Amino acid sequence: MRAKVENRLGDRILMGLVFLFLYAPIFILIIFSFNAGASSSVWKGFSLHWYEELIHNRLILSSVYTTLLVSLLATVIATVAGTFAAIGFYSMRRQRRDALMAVNNIPMMNADIVTGVSLCLLFVVFFNCWGAFAGWINSIQSAVTLPTKLSLGFGTMLIAHVCFNIPYVILAVGPKLRQMDRNLIDAAQDLGCTWMQAFWKVVIPEIKPGIISGALTAFTMSVDDFIISYFTAGSSTSTLAMTIYGMTKKRVSPQINAVSTVLFTTVLILLVIINVREANMQKRVDRSTKQAVVRQPSRGMRILGRVAAGVLALALLATLIVTGRAANARPVVNVCSWGEYIDEDLITEFEETTGIAVNYQTVESNEALYSLIEMGGADFDVIVPSDYMIARLIEEGMLAELDYGNIPNYELIGEQFKGLSYDPENKYTVPYTWGTLGIIYNTAMVDEEITSWDAMFDPKYAGQVLMINNSRDALAAALLDLGYDLNTTDPEELRAAFQRLKEAKDAGVYQAFVMDQVFQKMEGGNAAIAMYYAGDYLTMLDNNEDLAFVIPDEGSNWFVDAMCVLKSGQHKREAEEWINFIASTEANLANMDYIWYGSPNVEALEQYPAYYEELYEEELDPELFEIMAPPAETLDRCIMYTDLPQNVLALYNDLWNQLGV
Amino acid sequence: MKNKLSRFAVPYEIWMAIFVVAPIVIMVVYAFTSQNGGFTLENFIKMGGYTEVFLRSFKMALVATAVCLLIGYPVSYYMSREGKGFQRIAMVLIMLPMWMNFLLRTYSWITILDNNGLLNQLFQRIGLITLYNNITGRELTFFPMLNTQGAVVLGMVYNYLPFMILPIYSVIIKLDHSLLEAARDLGANSATVFRKVILPLSLPGVLSGITMVFVPSVSTFAISQMLGGGTELLLGDLIERQFLGGAYNPQLGAAISLVMMVIVVVCMLVMNRFGEGEEQAVML
Repeated sequence: MRAKVENRLGDRILMGLVFLFLYAPIFILIIFSFNAGASSSVWKGFSLHWYEELIHNRLILSSVYTTLLVSLLATVIATVAGTFAAIGFYSMRRQRRDALMAVNNIPMMNADIVTGVSLCLLFVVFFNCWGAFAGWINSIQSAVTLPTKLSLGFGTMLIAHVCFNIPYVILAVGPKLRQMDRNLIDAAQDLGCTWMQAFWKVVIPEIKPGIISGALTAFTMSVDDFIISYFTAGSSTSTLAMTIYGMTKKRVSPQINAVSTVLFTTVLILLVIINVREANMQKRVDRSTKQAVVRQPSRGMRILGRVAAGVLALALLATLIVTGRAANARPVVNVCSWGEYIDEDLITEFEETTGIAVNYQTVESNEALYSLIEMGGADFDVIVPSDYMIARLIEEGMLAELDYGNIPNYELIGEQFKGLSYDPENKYTVPYTWGTLGIIYNTAMVDEEITSWDAMFDPKYAGQVLMINNSRDALAAALLDLGYDLNTTDPEELRAAFQRLKEAKDAGVYQAFVMDQVFQKMEGGNAAIAMYYAGDYLTMLDNNEDLAFVIPDEGSNWFVDAMCVLKSGQHKREAEEWINFIASTEANLANMDYIWYGSPNVEALEQYPAYYEELYEEELDPELFEIMAPPAETLDRCIMYTDLPQNVLALYNDLWNQLGV
Repeated sequence: MKNKLSRFAVPYEIWMAIFVVAPIVIMVVYAFTSQNGGFTLENFIKMGGYTEVFLRSFKMALVATAVCLLIGYPVSYYMSREGKGFQRIAMVLIMLPMWMNFLLRTYSWITILDNNGLLNQLFQRIGLITLYNNITGRELTFFPMLNTQGAVVLGMVYNYLPFMILPIYSVIIKLDHSLLEAARDLGANSATVFRKVILPLSLPGVLSGITMVFVPSVSTFAISQMLGGGTELLLGDLIERQFLGGAYNPQLGAAISLVMMVIVVVCMLVMNRFGEGEEQAVML
């Protein structure tokens, strides 16, 4: 007996450890949601201000709303459809049922990513067919105009959620059907029920527990899903999971901790309520079985339940209609840019002055932007790609020619930013910013002065280096280090550059491949060396004075990011208005001050030092201004990327995949 | 009656044809298509270069599954021997994290494992790092934990452990106690009862748990990107990269997905052969 007790103690310790393992990260999230500082690992005192900010964060709130809406809708649809399907399956001959069940199990057996990818491909194929069909319809008649361009969005995501939810419902309802006494239905019919009545009065009540547990599972799956949504929602719709994923690729705000805390507490309270109720009910059942009384909800309760369900359904419908209206009523412009690349007050200002709603999204890199557009995942109007990507998009006929009559501020753009190789005739673009690529390092962690790209490959710094996570920039560093042209098309040179990267990676030089995560890592001293863009260095410098920036001796890349309008965009007029607004001197000054990238607007560039002085009441360090807007002699050492031929791009992709291996 | 009811399934049959079968057919077609649209096997030939990614993904997923099983089985077993009230609370506690998005939970590990993260701060404070340096003669200022394979496996275990515990628990809890009593009456000690009765009977739960942990582990990309730092690609990363990431090539992505799907399905079939005749444990 005593051994048993000790044994129990051991068991409980194990369970305690497992629960600690499961909950420690969650409690840490919760604790740091009350942190006064922005760090997620250094405690600076108690504060509620992340919660205050959360209330004003449209992005997070709308993604919570999207998550709930898609989960609820998908659950309702999947529960109804799944229940009917299960009943149908149950009434079938065995052979046919087994075959159908096998198909039904596919989405559950498959990895989420396979389901997501295959559905994404289905939608893409459908959109292409639809485009051709709608184009044909529009050309033969003029009574109705069908939209020719469809893109991934809420609808496709909902379909995907329904798709993976139905099997869970069937799996939950099926066993209940099998347990049901088949004679019940016959008995009901013998007693004069039509088969419809038999269905509603006998079958449904019998399988109700299965339906409820199926619905719960479906809802849980929907709320927790990320991967399938990610592949089917496109860029304009974002569930909470997608928003968080996007954020982990940038600077993570403790607002995320605040959201988690709110969610966690809500679920906790809900579960406690449900469990207490269930426990009470259990007790009541135990008592009532003694008295052999069958528990039956009273008539009043049942009516109440139905009314509640009806109200819920109506409310859902109403929110849908209202949000749909709201989306249609206001003119919109969909803008896609990079992370930390705009003074967000400008968005509000634009919305207030023009009444046009801005749907502002970000992607990680030029290459990711291209993938997103190609996969039909984007309904962007304005994008801000870099030079070489613009050239590629123009060549592939994806950009619309701008009507510069609508963009008078284009006149303010400096001559040196016009007629560049990517858009020689100035037909498609209005420059947004320009800058250089260089090495950022922490002088407290690196003893010597870095002057060469060698630092990015030196085993001396093993585990301390952050490599940039896009193929063009990463290979450029290696090409420059080897003394090659960064626009080379020679496969041998590219392979040599790849080898340089690969060797460094195998030697453990790279702590991680990052894009905008670089901010947090460098500011927090988690890495010593990184290659990134000059403007972003200045942002980091604000938070960590030890950081230094260098354009290596071998030279570097200088780039122009320019605003363009996609041909497939639906809001060209609004898009041009946005571009004009952003090209103004005031907007450029605000942006320069916020993102620290050089402005192509001549007036803004000239006025910035004075603007800075007025704003901060101190002189702008000329050295910093030189990093922001490098003088001609620095730019002479830098080369702009050009668009590469198809086969070289394919080689880039292959090498980039290989590097991961 | 019967035939009328079977019509209920017709809409869903059509739905499945469009949204379950067709996508996979399209994926197969894509896998055999070149970027110019013609038939090709090139996508599969290219895959030879990614053998290492395949091996690494399967290795890490296997490790994660094994760890989940090693922790999950005893926990489920011990849990089933506790009182009703305890069990109820324990189940809620295991389910609860699943309602918080897994990305949030994974993100939390970054702050714990980072070079300047909470664990390293703790180690620093209690002098563990100095101690380690004194013993090994190295000069570490932190233990590198984030951006390693270990961190990724940890993330997988952390996220998918409930998927192992739930099915095993739900099978064990339903075991017929008279069987155990019978075994004891026939002279088996508790170890033998466990080995000869409980373990074989809980096998369906174990198999279903293994499936539910292994499949998401082998195909994850969010966890490896967040905790692995992108230095070592997993299959999920490779696929994601071809569709929405930095190396646009959906044909290659489709081919990789296809091969991964086939391997996983074959593994599952072989494994279920193992536990043939046993009914699949239903999750939740």
